[in-house]
Amino acid sequence: MINPRIDRSTPVIVQGITGRAGRLHSRLMKEYGTNIVGGISPKTDAKEVNGVPLFPDCHAAVRATGATASVILVGAMQLLAAMTEAIEAGIRYVVTPTEGMPVHDAVKALHLTRAADAVWVGASTPGMAVPGVAKLGFLPNDALLHGPLGLMSKSGTLSYESGYRLAQRGVGQSVWVGVGGDPVKGTRYADLIPFYARDAQTEGLLIIGEIGGHEEEDFAQALIAQQFAKPVFALIAGSSAPEGVTMGHAGALVHGSHGSYAAKRAALEAAGARVYATLDDMVNGVCGVLKKH
Amino acid sequence: MYLLEHDAKTLLASHGIAVPAGVMVTHARELASADLAPGPWVVKGQITAGGRGKAGIIRKAATREAVAEAVAAILGATVKGRTVNAVRIEQQVREVEEAYIALLLDAAAGGVRVIMCAHGGMDIEALPADQIRSAVAELDAEAIRECVREIAGAWPDAKGRALRDAGERLAEVFVAREAMLVEINPLFVHGDGSWVAGDAKLVTDDSALARQPEIRALLEHRAAAYPEAAIKLEHGFDYVVVDPEGEIGLLTTGAGLSMMLIDELRQQGLKPYNFLDIRTGGMRGDPGRLVSVLRWMTEGRKLRVLLINIFAGITDLGEFSRLLVTALRTVSQLDVPVVARLVGNGLPEARPILEAGGVHLYTDLGAAVAEVKQVLQKAPR
Repeated sequence: MINPRIDRSTPVIVQGITGRAGRLHSRLMKEYGTNIVGGISPKTDAKEVNGVPLFPDCHAAVRATGATASVILVGAMQLLAAMTEAIEAGIRYVVTPTEGMPVHDAVKALHLTRAADAVWVGASTPGMAVPGVAKLGFLPNDALLHGPLGLMSKSGTLSYESGYRLAQRGVGQSVWVGVGGDPVKGTRYADLIPFYARDAQTEGLLIIGEIGGHEEEDFAQALIAQQFAKPVFALIAGSSAPEGVTMGHAGALVHGSHGSYAAKRAALEAAGARVYATLDDMVNGVCGVLKKH
Repeated sequence: MYLLEHDAKTLLASHGIAVPAGVMVTHARELASADLAPGPWVVKGQITAGGRGKAGIIRKAATREAVAEAVAAILGATVKGRTVNAVRIEQQVREVEEAYIALLLDAAAGGVRVIMCAHGGMDIEALPADQIRSAVAELDAEAIRECVREIAGAWPDAKGRALRDAGERLAEVFVAREAMLVEINPLFVHGDGSWVAGDAKLVTDDSALARQPEIRALLEHRAAAYPEAAIKLEHGFDYVVVDPEGEIGLLTTGAGLSMMLIDELRQQGLKPYNFLDIRTGGMRGDPGRLVSVLRWMTEGRKLRVLLINIFAGITDLGEFSRLLVTALRTVSQLDVPVVARLVGNGLPEARPILEAGGVHLYTDLGAAVAEVKQVLQKAPR
């Protein structure tokens, strides 16, 4: 079972920490409470970034710090190599926010992480968080609030907006995992059902989906197969997207009935999920069920 | 990128896949000089969507006159909200049987799904499920070929031989060109087992363009046929005109939130013009992306209002607002009211900058949309 419940002691390294995103987000993650123990930068003489010690490679960082997780902030074409380095060094948990990873690379990365029995969240993920405890990636603090809702999302922005509005209404999240907008990814919605089913803090599950692929349909089938007993809410973007055009996310492409909004909505409703057509309706629906605290 | 049939066939032919002889034409006047193979022909409208036959943009033609008539009827037609800007005129393939073959990147399995059927010519969804054979292979040309041989072995006849041979060749293309989908439907099969690709659907990976010079060259050569992918390649962000008649220009970041906003506006009977994921994180203090987008929006003939929706988790709204006001001044020909809904980081700093720039600022999306509605009601052009 994949367990995304990181805590304040989980030792995390940041690969690509000297880049623009690496500097910014290592600082933001650290400020939030994430235990950032090291950064990887093969090409610099600097000793630290944001008070985080630098190492030339993952092996050295893992040896020195005992790191078990890595947030990888390198370019899309370097991502597979960086992931390979992390896994070979013994990292158990990789989060890769980088957008634009070639899909055939993602297939290789998937086999690499599965063979090592490691968890991969991404690519093209906004990150993940245990609100009030720690975060890996970009999730903005304004949207994070400790609470009863399990949240999984392909899109960053739509989940920020959803999390923020729900937080304004007093409904926070148990564990928030951005599975990402790529077609081939490390962790899919369905992979996390066993975790959310058992997680005592989680009282309901919200998925923020979008057109393309059949991840929402697979998730719906898994809900039924695993007899998931908690309420499930879903918001699916792209009902009016044109066929044959990629809508921003590499995975968001409808061709024929493949990946269509109608197919997703039907599958989710058949699994007992409450599917909403607007953000307002979703927020009201979730609050109506979960807001009793 | 979902390739037009003509481009898919050209690319497949360069890998030794047999396709009917054909040419592409974008204007009726090109017909006179077009180098057509001997007839009869089939004239096929080129759009990246299925159901072309039902939509009437695939027509048979026995004479050059009939070809000209078909071209005239198909060019400029609107199908699934899209204008047909090109037709492929190819030789009809006759006295053949039809089969189906596809290689599909199976995201859940993390491999390549090989799908075959001894029937073809209709949607895979319409084929009888018990007659479709499929299995997943590793993403490796030899593994895919092995899988192809095993599946095709189910048909010990000419069709089986054709499916096997076509599949083995497609395996090579799939891996070399980093495809996400290659589908030949129908695969025309002659009595002797020789075959030709009747139709071709090829979806390639935009993220791999940097190391796929052939596909990159195709995109650069014919940017007008793939406007979204061309913009992404040149500018690094996503912009899609979803309705050329749209009235509301959208300045938004984030693919999911942008799509959702379009959905919600349409549900309210409003007409958004475009999808945009400008990626504020990539602007880096430069109004260039905003200027580009505003310029493109001036092509929207019915555009009457600009709606900005930014949820700034990380982005600094103060800086964003300065860049926005600069861009609006630069593209002064886009003379429409601007309604902004901004939330997050740096909002207090953004407020006076936007007010000075004449932008109506809201923090509630519903209120901003209500303002957009008001603008549309009171200012018909």
